[in-house]
Amino acid sequence: MKTPFLTGLVLAALAFQPAARAASLLDGYADAARAADAGFAGFSAGRGRALFAATPGTGKPDTPSCTTCHTADPRAAGRTRAGKAIAPMALSVSPDRYADPAKVEKWFRRNCNSVLGRACTAREKGDFIRFMATQ
Amino acid sequence: MTDQPNAPAGAQTVWDLPLRLFHWIAVSAVAVSLVTGYLLGDHWLFLHVAAGGVLGGLLAFRLAWGVIGSRYSRFATFPLRPSGVRRQIGHLMRGRSDLHTGHNPVGAWMIVALLAGLGLLVATGLVVWGGQEHQGPLSAVIGYKLGHGVKEVHEVLAALLLTAVGIHVAGVVVETVVFRHPVVKAMVHGRKPVPGSGETARTVGLTHTVVGLGLMALAVGAWLYWFYLPRPAVAPVRTSQAYTRDCGDCHWAFHPSLRTAGTWRTMMAGLADHYGEDASLAPDRRDQVTAYLVAHAAETADTEASHEIGRRETASGRITDTRYWQRRHRQLSDQDFARPDVGSKMACNACHRDADTGRFDDDMIQPPKGVPA
Ligand code: HEC
Ligand code: HEC
Ligand code: HEC
Repeated sequence: MKTPFLTGLVLAALAFQPAARAASLLDGYADAARAADAGFAGFSAGRGRALFAATPGTGKPDTPSCTTCHTADPRAAGRTRAGKAIAPMALSVSPDRYADPAKVEKWFRRNCNSVLGRACTAREKGDFIRFMATQ
Repeated sequence: MTDQPNAPAGAQTVWDLPLRLFHWIAVSAVAVSLVTGYLLGDHWLFLHVAAGGVLGGLLAFRLAWGVIGSRYSRFATFPLRPSGVRRQIGHLMRGRSDLHTGHNPVGAWMIVALLAGLGLLVATGLVVWGGQEHQGPLSAVIGYKLGHGVKEVHEVLAALLLTAVGIHVAGVVVETVVFRHPVVKAMVHGRKPVPGSGETARTVGLTHTVVGLGLMALAVGAWLYWFYLPRPAVAPVRTSQAYTRDCGDCHWAFHPSLRTAGTWRTMMAGLADHYGEDASLAPDRRDQVTAYLVAHAAETADTEASHEIGRRETASGRITDTRYWQRRHRQLSDQDFARPDVGSKMACNACHRDADTGRFDDDMIQPPKGVPA
C-alpha cells in the first residue's frame, strides 16, 4: 500500500525540481512541434543558438535581436532597455529558468514579437531552451 | 554685585541665564532653518524640520517665561508705549541713544515681531509638513492642497523674518559700534551697566536660573516628543507583488499613484507596443493589473508625488516627462542614471528608498554614493 504513495511523493518532488520542470516543458513543446510538422526529429541546440544570435530585421526597431537584452553570452547577465539587470539565460547559471510555463510563454510571446515581429513556433521555443540547457 | 567680581562698576545682571540660553539656541536654530530652507536641497528637510521643532519648544518656554521670568524677561516690562518709541526715534535721528536697563522701546517691538514671526513660521511649517509631506502631528488632518497653499505663506513669512533679523542685527551693530553700548556682551554674560541713578535692586536670582532651565528643558522636550511621536503613515498602498511580477521585469514597477486612471487605461490597452516593445499580458492578468492600477491611481492619493507628478498627464504617458519630475532631477546627468547601480531614470527605487510606498519622502532620498544629491 505504501509503494504507490512513495512513488507519488518522489514524482511530485521531481516535478517541482526546476530542471525536471524545464524538461517537462520541453516535452510539451515537442508534442506541439510534432503536431505541426510530422517530420519533426527533435530539438537542436545549434538552431537555438542561431535563433538567439540572429538579427532578423522583422521586429521592432529598438529590439533587433535576443542579444539586445540578453547579451551575446548566455552565461552573462543582460540588461533591459530600461536599464534593469536580467539574470543570465543559461540554465547552468540560472537553474530556476524555464520552469514556469506561464512565465516562459509570456516572455516568448513578448520577445518573439518584439524581435521577430511574429510568434515563435513550438520548435523554435524548444530549440532555444535546449540551447540554453547546454550552456 | 558681590557674586560677580568682574562686573563693571554699576553693572547689574539684567538677562537671566535661561533667557540668554533661549536667545542663543534660537539664533542657532533660526540660522539652521534659514540655511536649510533657502540654500540646501529637499533631502535636508529633516534638519529644517528639526530646527523648527526646537524653535517650537523654545517659543513655548519663552511665552511662559514672559509671564513668570525675571523682571526684564517679562513682557509686562517691555517699554512698548508709542510715546516711548517716538522719543527713542527722535533721539536716534539726532544721533543719540540712551542705554536702557532692559530692552529699549524699538528693540522691544523688534522682540515682539521676531517672536510673533517665529511662532507663525512654526505654525505654518507644521501645516506644510503635515499636508505636503504627510508627516508630523498634522499629517492626518491636513490635505496636500492646503499644505501646498500654506507653503506660500510660510515663504512670505520667512522673507519677513529674514528682514526682521537683518534689522535686529543692524540695530545691535549700531548700538555696539556707534553708541558703544555693550549689548552683545550683555546677552552673553547677562550684565549691563545701569544707566544714571537707575535701579540697583537685584532682579535675577538663583531661583530664576533653576526654574527657568527646568522649564526650558521641559518645554522643548515635551514639544519635541509631540512633534516626533510615531504616527500611522498616511500613504497610498505599497505596490502589490502580483503587479510587480507583471510590470517589474523590464523596469521598476511604477507606483500606481504616479499616473492617472485614464493614462493607465490607455497604456494597458496598448501593451503590445509599449515604448517600442511588446509588454503584453494574458487577458486575465491584463484586466487584473488594469483594475489594480485604476483603483490606486493618482486621483486616489494625496501625496506630493501624486499631485505634482501623478495627476499631470503627458503626451507620452511618461512620468519622467512631467515638468515637476524634470525640475526635481535637473542636477542629475545621463551618466548618473546610466550607472550600473541605478540603471535608468525609471529606477526610482535606486534613489528613493520609499518608492514602493509612493510617498517619495524627502528624508528617504538616498542615491548611491557619487550621485549628486
Ligand atoms: C527588450 C529586451 C529583451 C529582448 C530583446 C529579449 N528578451 Fe527575453 N527576456 C527579457 C526580460 C526582461 C525577461 C524576464 C527577466 C527575467 O526573468 O529575469 C526575459 C525572459 C525571457 C524568457 C523567460 C525565461 C524564464 O526564466 O523562464 C525567455 C524564454 C526569453 N526571454 C527568450 C527570449 C528570446 C528567444 C528572445 C529573442 C527572440 C528574447 N528573449 C529577447 C528581455 C528581453
Ligand atoms: C518588456 C519590457 C517591459 C514590460 C514588461 C513593461 N514595460 Fe513599461 N517600459 C518598457 C520600456 C522599454 C519603457 C521605455 C524605456 C525608455 O524609454 O528608456 C517603458 C516605460 C514605461 C513607462 C514610462 C516611464 C517613464 O519614462 O516615465 C511606464 C509608466 C510603464 N513603462 C509602465 C508599465 C506597466 C504598467 C507595465 C506592466 C503592464 C510595464 N510598463 C511593463 C518596457 C516594459
Ligand atoms: C539617480 C537617482 C534618482 C532617481 C533614479 C530618481 N530620483 Fe527622484 N530625486 C532624486 C534626488 C537626488 C531628489 C532631490 C532633489 C532635490 O534635492 O531637490 C529627487 C527628488 C524627487 C522628488 C521630490 C521629493 C520631494 O518631496 O521634494 C520626487 C517626487 C521624485 N524625486 C520622484 C522620482 C520618481 C517618480 C522617479 C522615477 C521615475 C525618480 N524620482 C527617480 C534622485 C533620483
